[in-house]
Amino acid sequence: MENNQNKNAEPVRISIILPTNAYFISGIRDFTLAMIKNMTQFSQQWAYRFQSVVDELCNNAIEHGSEKGKNITVTFVQYNDAIEIIVEDTGTGAKKCNADEMRKLIEERTKEGYAFNGIRGRGLSKIVHGWTDELEFSDLQNGGLRVRVKKILKKEDDSKAKEALADATHVTLNI
Amino acid sequence: MSQITITTEDTQSTIAGRTVKIVHFTGQLDESNVDDRAKEIYAMITAVNGPLFLIFDFAGLEYMNSKSIGYLTDWYTKLSEKQGNIVIAQARPNILDILNVVGITQLIKSVASVEEAKVETNK
Repeated sequence: MENNQNKNAEPVRISIILPTNAYFISGIRDFTLAMIKNMTQFSQQWAYRFQSVVDELCNNAIEHGSEKGKNITVTFVQYNDAIEIIVEDTGTGAKKCNADEMRKLIEERTKEGYAFNGIRGRGLSKIVHGWTDELEFSDLQNGGLRVRVKKILKKEDDSKAKEALADATHVTLNI
Repeated sequence: MSQITITTEDTQSTIAGRTVKIVHFTGQLDESNVDDRAKEIYAMITAVNGPLFLIFDFAGLEYMNSKSIGYLTDWYTKLSEKQGNIVIAQARPNILDILNVVGITQLIKSVASVEEAKVETNK
């Protein structure tokens, strides 16, 4: 499928607002998979990886950042050579963390030899950190947290794109 | 909510005193269901006295999140304490990819078929 962006075109931005309920997360995973396959040159392998990245970021925002009854916002920004994903919470969660605390947590958990003992903790530091080129935290004026990740399409990924384009199971998104 | 079906079958071991079960996963393991379904695996581990070997047949597993992987490592630890083990069979490429990035494939063996997994549990 043809990448639907010209080289000089503005990046395509898609924002989705979700209630703080894990029930809705499978839908955002399906959307991520279809969007990456159909609207970018990333391979099928990366489409599945972004699915996990989005899932982990949304789960963290729901568990820590936004209390029940509030929302989280997921934004996809599609560049010619990259995809950016931004997840924002409202800062109303009981276990919320600010940007500084998140940076320290990532620094600690990505040190060589760090031992994960519990059930949790691998999503951000292993999956999100491992599969993105940029991972940035910032505090929002409303008290919420903004997590921005970016993955740049590299030559080795670009060559894999053919594999995804040949896949006949794609769902076309009319956006 | 994501759907996940977990079914279990017993299989024979060539080693006396060793219990081997095949656990088939079909669907998606995620935040909406993993806490509830993990209890079934813990119950299975607790119910067996002596070494228990679990073959996790992931042929039908479409998705697993980081918490599912956390549970996987915890089950592995609990089985190891009883001289048991876990072997993963038939995992799809996206599942193997996520297990790799988290580093679980260094801990838990993954093989292409259930038959190969049975061989592993008899070693």
